Amino acid sequence: MSHSHHMMTNSVDHTSTMPPSHHHPTTEASHHHGGGDGNMMMMHMTFYFGYKNVELLFYGLVINTAGEMAGAFVGVFLLAMFYEGLKIAREGLLRKSQVSIRYNSMPVPGPNGTILMETHKTVGQQMLSFPHLLQTVLHIIQVVISYFLMLIFMTYNGYLCIAVAAGAGTGYFLFSWKKAVVVDITEHCH
Amino acid sequence: METHFFFSDKVVLLFDFWNVHSPAGMALSALVILLLTVLYESIKFGKAKLLHQSLASMPACTSQQNEETDQSSSSSSELPPVSIPPLRWFLCHFGQSLIHIAQVVIGYFIMLAVMSYNTWIFLGVVLGSAVGYYLAYPLLSIG
Repeated sequence: MSHSHHMMTNSVDHTSTMPPSHHHPTTEASHHHGGGDGNMMMMHMTFYFGYKNVELLFYGLVINTAGEMAGAFVGVFLLAMFYEGLKIAREGLLRKSQVSIRYNSMPVPGPNGTILMETHKTVGQQMLSFPHLLQTVLHIIQVVISYFLMLIFMTYNGYLCIAVAAGAGTGYFLFSWKKAVVVDITEHCH
Repeated sequence: METHFFFSDKVVLLFDFWNVHSPAGMALSALVILLLTVLYESIKFGKAKLLHQSLASMPACTSQQNEETDQSSSSSSELPPVSIPPLRWFLCHFGQSLIHIAQVVIGYFIMLAVMSYNTWIFLGVVLGSAVGYYLAYPLLSIG
């Protein structure tokens, strides 16, 4: 097949000129080619289960054994749980820090032709206050972690994807429990 | 892998067996992705509505709960006790966690489908998102 011949010539060239590195394209049979243009693709484009030569996010962070995959599973699980917790912690912090409440009253016509005063309540924060700066920092952390989780899911590795989903579910279960009991009750009543 | 949007009838989506190589197959795949996105939007709304309903089924007024508290805490309770059976609340919250997992997984699947950079698939996602939001939003305000 012309594809495998192309693969072999590429790998021969690389071994003769460069020292072996983790980014060396391998000739594993489990790689799937999504396109027919002859380009060498290192990324999986379909889901697979495996623990050999799995690159994870950073240069040099390569999983080669089952033990390392188990450690990566736990790490990704905890990262997804931390992400859910961070989301809920930010919501709670936002609620607690909204101290300035502005009331805006305006007259509106009532049902019987009378005039009622409708009061709008807006909550806000000062831009340079500490809670807002803290929210911004936490927002940056949240965005970065969400992109990391997306990139982990993009490795198409079945074990890591299951770790992301399970961590998200467990984090939601643990952190949103108290939130649903405490916060939404007060909102419902007031 | 291409890194720009292109029109094509050939794509491999998510799994090994989902191999499309004909216009009919591509139309069907776009339709499946559209339905998946509609499902994602409706799960988002369903979770919010389920939380709303589960809270509405609880006695919501603090005055009523202050009468029911046995503890000698202050009248302004920061942590009002849950007066529905704990097992029911646990099952309700567990169900919501399962829905959350489904939402996360479907969201990632849609992201991976868009990552194929196939324009038909992307249009399916956009249309499915619009249709899903359009159908789900009135249902949220009814409940």
